[in-house]
Amino acid sequence: MNVVSDAVFSWFLTFLVGGLSAAWLVYDIRNLTKLRGADARDALVRDRRFGYIVGIVVALIGLVGTARYHGLV
Amino acid sequence: MAASEAASTSQPAPAAPAHRVVSPWNPANAVTASRFLTLPFFVWAVDHGYHQWATLFILVCGLLDKVDGLAARVFDCRSTFGEVFDAVTDGLCYGFALVICAAYGWAPLAPTILVIVLGLGNSALRFAYAARAHRTVNYKSYAMERLVAYTGYLIGIATSGFETLYFFWLFPVCMAIVVAHDAKRMLVDPLPPAPAPRGVAA
Repeated sequence: MNVVSDAVFSWFLTFLVGGLSAAWLVYDIRNLTKLRGADARDALVRDRRFGYIVGIVVALIGLVGTARYHGLV
Repeated sequence: MAASEAASTSQPAPAAPAHRVVSPWNPANAVTASRFLTLPFFVWAVDHGYHQWATLFILVCGLLDKVDGLAARVFDCRSTFGEVFDAVTDGLCYGFALVICAAYGWAPLAPTILVIVLGLGNSALRFAYAARAHRTVNYKSYAMERLVAYTGYLIGIATSGFETLYFFWLFPVCMAIVVAHDAKRMLVDPLPPAPAPRGVAA
């Protein structure tokens, strides 16, 4: 019992994983750029920087996974 | 000038902000609690082998997680209880869905067990931090916030068969790094100052 056809579902997943990963990548790169010059001795700044880097890594994992799903990698 | 100075000094000092009492029976917590209602439908879909329906129900569960934060802002009913309830609901809903996926062979068992063990370890660290800080705050970690979103994705990936092994084996690696980082912050680093008071549950 399907909601939509397999092809539509496949492209829906591509948009969901690949599209949101791409948006997330841009968002966290922007966040990280804004922190340039911030005081690295501040624990909150360090935590935010680490969080944004993790976000960028997760986004890259999402993009590579989407490419693998379509046989591009 | 002197008169205005005299007037300003004669004014009473502003009172400290009072603790606002927020009932736990508020719209934001209702939305959070409603996330549990998606789980029986999720189990039904997995049990019948309906991959698309299972993906849909876990998506609804994830979307409601965004809606509860919005409801808390719109209805101005944020509270410490709500934050903790939200975090506990995240763990229970996603943890339960992961176990169901692994039990039905939709997700690889070994990385699923690793994720659950690391999740439990992270919860234990938060309790240790609360005991150390003497306040029941929902410890904020920017990195863990991103991994919680990844966990939601993992279940969708398991239900849809979207590069399942690739995503599942990379996730525990990321999570181990973040848990180790947060453990240092919670157990070793100096405590940050207490956050501004939020609504207190009635």
